[in-house]
Amino acid sequence: MSRSRLLAKKIGWALVTVMVVLTFNFFLFRVLPGDPAKAGVKDPRLSAEAVEAARVRFGLDKPVLINLDEGPWYDSQYFRYVGSMAAGDLGESYAFKNRTVGELVGKALVNTVWLVLPAQLIAIAAGVALGLVAAWKRGTKLDVGALTFGLVTWSLPTFFLGILLLFFGSRWFGFPTAGRVTIGAEYTSIWDQIGDIVHHLFLPTLTFALVLLGEYLLIMRSSVVEVFSEDYILTAKAKGLSPGAIVRRHGFRNAMLPIVTLIALNLGFTVSGAIQVETVYSWPGLGKLTVDAVSTRDFPVLQGAFLLLAISVIGANLIAELVYLRLDPRVTEV
Amino acid sequence: MDRRNRATWLVTLGLLVAACGTGGDATTTATDDSGGTTTAPSTGEGGTVRIGWGGAPADLNPGIGVLTEDYTLYDLVYDSPINIDLDGNFQPELATEWSVSDDGLTWTMKIREGVSFSDGTPLTAEDVAYSINLYKDTEAFPLLPSYVTPFVAVEAPDATTVTLTTADPLPNFEYRMVAMYVLPKHIWETVDDPTAFTNDDMIGSGPFTLTEISQSEFVRLSPNPGYWGTVPTVDEVIFQTFDNPDGRVQALINGDVDMITEFPATAIANLQGADNVEVADGNYFGGRLADIFFNVVEPENCPTEEEGGICSGHPALRDVNVRQALATATDKQQLIDVVLLGTADPGLGLVTNSLGDWYPAELEAADYVFDIANANGILDAAGYADSDDDGIRECPAGAECGPTGDLTFRLNYPTDNDEHPRVSDMLSGWWNEIGVKVEIAGLDSDTLTSVCCPSFDFDVMLWSWTSDPDPESLLGVLLCSEISSGFSETGYCNPTVDELYAQQQIELDPAKRRELIVEISRIALEDVPYIIPWYYPRIQAYRTDTFAGWQVGQTILSLEDPSTLTVLRPAG
Repeated sequence: MSRSRLLAKKIGWALVTVMVVLTFNFFLFRVLPGDPAKAGVKDPRLSAEAVEAARVRFGLDKPVLINLDEGPWYDSQYFRYVGSMAAGDLGESYAFKNRTVGELVGKALVNTVWLVLPAQLIAIAAGVALGLVAAWKRGTKLDVGALTFGLVTWSLPTFFLGILLLFFGSRWFGFPTAGRVTIGAEYTSIWDQIGDIVHHLFLPTLTFALVLLGEYLLIMRSSVVEVFSEDYILTAKAKGLSPGAIVRRHGFRNAMLPIVTLIALNLGFTVSGAIQVETVYSWPGLGKLTVDAVSTRDFPVLQGAFLLLAISVIGANLIAELVYLRLDPRVTEV
Repeated sequence: MDRRNRATWLVTLGLLVAACGTGGDATTTATDDSGGTTTAPSTGEGGTVRIGWGGAPADLNPGIGVLTEDYTLYDLVYDSPINIDLDGNFQPELATEWSVSDDGLTWTMKIREGVSFSDGTPLTAEDVAYSINLYKDTEAFPLLPSYVTPFVAVEAPDATTVTLTTADPLPNFEYRMVAMYVLPKHIWETVDDPTAFTNDDMIGSGPFTLTEISQSEFVRLSPNPGYWGTVPTVDEVIFQTFDNPDGRVQALINGDVDMITEFPATAIANLQGADNVEVADGNYFGGRLADIFFNVVEPENCPTEEEGGICSGHPALRDVNVRQALATATDKQQLIDVVLLGTADPGLGLVTNSLGDWYPAELEAADYVFDIANANGILDAAGYADSDDDGIRECPAGAECGPTGDLTFRLNYPTDNDEHPRVSDMLSGWWNEIGVKVEIAGLDSDTLTSVCCPSFDFDVMLWSWTSDPDPESLLGVLLCSEISSGFSETGYCNPTVDELYAQQQIELDPAKRRELIVEISRIALEDVPYIIPWYYPRIQAYRTDTFAGWQVGQTILSLEDPSTLTVLRPAG
């Protein structure tokens, strides 16, 4: 099969997967007990008329799958949803009345990417580098130290590490306790603004990077150790190549294969946000938006957030498969 | 380009792109981006007050707001005809005086002259009448219509007079006016659908105006220079959202904020030990209570299947002896000491001790005294014996005894509260000693509402209520008519209580009204569908070295209220 036909087939399957996920989620959310029209409000002043008006506004008075009452059979919640999605309209939030899902999820996405992407990149870079060094110096104190560090940070609960860093970071180093930017600040230059953002990003990114680091370190280390035991490495040594050249030309590229899969998986899940880090540092990202939406039964926001997640994960995996095709010449069809 | 350079280039590019992005997405109300010469918020003479809270306002439209934070914002940006002060007394705000006709059916308010909205338009009685009518007529508004449903007609015969007519006499007129935020008619009458109006500009006549809001992050307010009352001294008020309670407490201790509106009881000792930080306590407006309630709905009162009625409650709980025994086996003081570290007042009934004279203090002597032996005695006398000797009592012969055939009750509570797990454990311990077993399960609030009311699919529940500053506010849960509406949590139905409630609704003489309310409370105490373990104190903390004028030491504590924010000035 030619490369372009292979690509088209893969993208087609990815789209089908996204649709299946969306449909499944649509019905899954409606299984939750509770009434979105009340949005978690338990108040004696809340009138029955207002709840009914909310129910009608949300379209919850319509049947879920097929309309067997008066009107066309496709006038149901599911088909209305599919129809508006096809038109690019993600709907309006139930809890943040009169705000569109696109607006809410978009803003939260930007905030999440600001936090999670640098953390992922730092964790990947540091984890891969440390893993490589640990494998190279296998058995030495450096290796044991790196291994311990990786295991400890990977197994620490995120919120615990976050609270610790928040306490010491804000007390001893003057880092802010919450928020993305200094509120009401006026900047004299773009560098001031970047500086302020980095100042606020430092602790959350550090927390998240530390927690992710261990995974990359450990997998890189074991991958490199395995590669170094291969015969072709022995041949390269016999040929007289320097250790540096061995690693660069033969070792690294082969050891990176499992890491590529891992990176793809993790980057895909970037979009689900870092709920614990976001809560500890009051960072208004997708994780917090999703959790709040669950407690208020905000179906449109949940559907929008999960759509984003599905596209992100499935897309990242697709890209990983394609990268694999390039990286590993042994693979002709994945 | 090799790997390292590519990575660096991507990161830099990303930073630049995002820096441009962050500037644009932050606000829904524009602020002047003139770009000053400082990198910190401007500090003029009055200073910037920073307040940390746990939530954030979701709606700028007073008609549709449901969160506490929404109302905090409305109180600062809007005025209402009548205000309630920190001692619980009603004070003139936009209405300088008010009176009722001899037949008790027509109220007249005189509206203050010389008041304008923040956009310069004068405020007259027309705006007041328009606003009240808007709240009354827009059915889709969730909360505010309930305050003004009794009014048949609301008119503004001239620029300084508003008349309100009712079908029956109204004893709590002032209380209803407190929530009537006066909106500018010239803006709102052009709106097609008041429920869909986002009201981003928030034009009001209150002491503050909205400068900037970033959803779920912060709100910035500045003084309204044209305010008719005391123009605030401070330059700016910033409310910042801290999702993490520890972060909030740490921010106050570090000096990042000047006041925090709420924090867990466990942080009190930490805050008291910090430098330049004071912890203040007082009451909520109207009071806030914790409750333990039972499913007592009689089968004939069960809501229909269409209304959602399931009514699976344990039959033994419909026996008042069982409830009285459980109340006698509940040590309120011990609960307060262990769970709240002794900071709360013991509860009594649904009329809280923040309601001043309305609180039926004379009934305190009639409350249940913790006594396990007594409780056992009540159940013995009522015929609940432990015939199979397994430690759990069974019902009297011939009586229905639920799915397990003995006194095993389901106990549910909302998971968004730290105290409930501990409370359930303690209750379980005491109630075991009188032969009652509980199966404890925490549920999220929405799920809990769906099993509570009007489905009545539970046995025992723990929850809480915040009362409005009027005694009638929570007593409605005891009415038969509220069983199918979902407001009644217990399914309690007593025609005498219904009759007394209806009488107090139209009783203008405060002394007589109080008698009726005390009688309702006495019956409720005797029938005990609710056990009220405690009334929550309002506890807040503030810094002493940045601002002075915090309104503490009065009956009600509300440092985010205009009563503090209009008089706050820099310390020292």
